[in-house]
Amino acid sequence: MSQPLLLAESVSRNFGGLKALDQVSLHVSAGEILGLIGPNGAGKSTLFNCLAGSLPSSGGRIQFNGHEITRLGASRRARLGIARTFQLGKVFSTMTVKENVLAGLGIGAYGSFLRSVTGRVKGESELAQAREILDLFQLHDEAETLVATLPIGVQRRVESARAVATNPRLLLLDEPAAGLTHGEAESFAEIVRRVRARGITVVVIEHNMRFAMDLTDRLYVLVQGRIIAEGPPATVREDPDVVRAYLG
Amino acid sequence: MIGRRAPEEPSGHITNAHSASETVGPTLANIVVTGCLYTLIAIGLTMVYGMLRVLHIVHAGVFAVGAAVGLLIFTTAPVGFWPSLLGAMLAAGVMGVAIYYVGYRWVLDAPRGTPLLVSIGLFITVQSLLEKEFLIGPHVEGFDAATGLPAFTLGGFAFTPIQTAIVVSTAVVCAAVWLLLNRSRLGLSWRALSEDMNMARSLGVPTERAVAINMFLGSAMAGLAGVLVAVYENAVSAHMGEVVAYKAFVVVVLGGLGSIWGAAVAAFILAAFEIGISTTFGGLFPRDAIGFAVLILILLFMPTGLFGKRLD
Repeated sequence: MSQPLLLAESVSRNFGGLKALDQVSLHVSAGEILGLIGPNGAGKSTLFNCLAGSLPSSGGRIQFNGHEITRLGASRRARLGIARTFQLGKVFSTMTVKENVLAGLGIGAYGSFLRSVTGRVKGESELAQAREILDLFQLHDEAETLVATLPIGVQRRVESARAVATNPRLLLLDEPAAGLTHGEAESFAEIVRRVRARGITVVVIEHNMRFAMDLTDRLYVLVQGRIIAEGPPATVREDPDVVRAYLG
Repeated sequence: MIGRRAPEEPSGHITNAHSASETVGPTLANIVVTGCLYTLIAIGLTMVYGMLRVLHIVHAGVFAVGAAVGLLIFTTAPVGFWPSLLGAMLAAGVMGVAIYYVGYRWVLDAPRGTPLLVSIGLFITVQSLLEKEFLIGPHVEGFDAATGLPAFTLGGFAFTPIQTAIVVSTAVVCAAVWLLLNRSRLGLSWRALSEDMNMARSLGVPTERAVAINMFLGSAMAGLAGVLVAVYENAVSAHMGEVVAYKAFVVVVLGGLGSIWGAAVAAFILAAFEIGISTTFGGLFPRDAIGFAVLILILLFMPTGLFGKRLD
C-alpha cells in the first residue's frame, strides 16, 4: 500500500475532563474524496481542527505527505498544503469575490519577506488563475460582487474557492452543504469532484447524509469521539453500529 | 496638542502659535502640517489596532522614544537630520516588536481590558524611564535640526523646511501604506489577520512574522512622527507623548477604529476644527477641548466614527 497523504494515529483531544476525541486513527489516500460523518457532538469539527492545526491534540501523532506535523501550527500546515473551510464560513466580507480568490492566491504564494512585499497580487498570471478558479466554482457572474451582499450558499463557494486558490494538496471542507437546497448541494458536489480532478484530495465533514453518500469514496463514522465504522458508503450505510448511532 | 510651540509657553505644553490676526495662508499651512502629523501618528496606531484589536496607548511612548533617539543620534554622531531620523525609526520599530513579544502576545486572548492595561502600564514605564537623568531627564531638550529641504509656497500655502519635511514624509508614508495594503501579499495577510486570525492561519499566513512586521512599521511611523514633531517644536521631553496618547485616540475613534484611511481623514478634520476655531476665537476655546468636543459631537450622531464599522 502506498503511503497515505494524511495519517492520524491515536489522536486524542480532551477539554478538561471531557474526551472529545478518544484515540482516533484514520488515513487519507491521495486523490480520494473522504467523508467524515457522525451525529451532533461526535467530535467531527474537533478532529478537523486537530488535523488542520487550529487546535493542538492532547495525544497521538499526525503525518502529512511524509512529514510529522503533530506539533506544527495551522499556518505551517497550510503552507505544507492543507487548506480548510470553516463550519460557520469565514470570508473577506469587505472584498469582492474575485478579490477573495486573489487573496487566496497571494497568501498561498507568500514566500520570504522580500517576496511578500514585492510579489505581485494582481498580475496577468494571478488574474488568469483567479478566472479559472472562479469558473471552477461557478462564480464568474459574481466576480465583482461584494461578498457580504451574497447569500450564505454562495459565500460558502467563495470560501472553498479561496481555499483552492492557496494551491493545496489536501482540502478539508467543514459542512459545505449546510443550508444549501438539494439542487445547490448536487451542484456543489459536482464542483468538489472537479476539484479532485485537479489533483486535490478532499476530506468532507457532512451532516447531509445523502450528500455525503453520493459524493465520497469512503467514509469514517465518528460517535462520541471514537471511530465506529469505516468503508465505502454502501457498506457503512448497512453497518449495524452506524444505524444504531443514527436511529438510537 | 501638536503645532508650533509659542516661545512663552511652558515646556511640554504646546499650543498653536498662530493668532487670529494672522493671514489665512499660514493658518491653512498649519492645518495641513498638523493634519499630517496627526495622520502619521494615527496610521501606525490604527494599523496595530486593526490587527490586534489592542488600544495601543504605548504608541505614544514609542513616539517619545523616537524623538529621544533621533536627538541622541543627531547630537552625538555627525550624520545630520535624515540619518538621525532613520535611526529613530529603526529604534522605534524594534521597540514596537519588543512590545508585542514582551506584552501583547501573551494577553491577546484575554478580556479586552487586559491588553489595554498592559499598554498603559508599558506607556507609564517608558515615560518614567525617559524621565531619568541618564536619558532625557525632567527638562526639555531642544532639537534644532536643518532638514536640508527648501521652503516653498503652493497656492498661498507657505511651508518652512521642516513643514516641507512633514508634508513630504506623510505623503511618502501614505503612498507606501496604500501600496503595501493593496498591492502586496504582506498587505493581504494583514487584511486576513484583521478579519480573523484563525482564518488567516488556515490560509497559511505566517502570523508571528506578519504581526511583527506590522508592529515594526507602525512603530517606525511613531518614531518618524516623534522626530518631526520634536524638530518642528524644537523640543524633546519625557512627557511629549502624553498629549499624543489622547489626541491620537481622538483621531482613531473619529476615523472609526481600525480604519486607516478614516484615521487619515479624521486627522485633517480634527486639525481643521482645532486650528480653525482656536485661530478664529483666539484663546476663548482651548484647543484640546475643541478636539474632544468634536469627538463627542460626532460620536453622538455616528457612534462608529466617521468611516468605521460597529466595534463588535
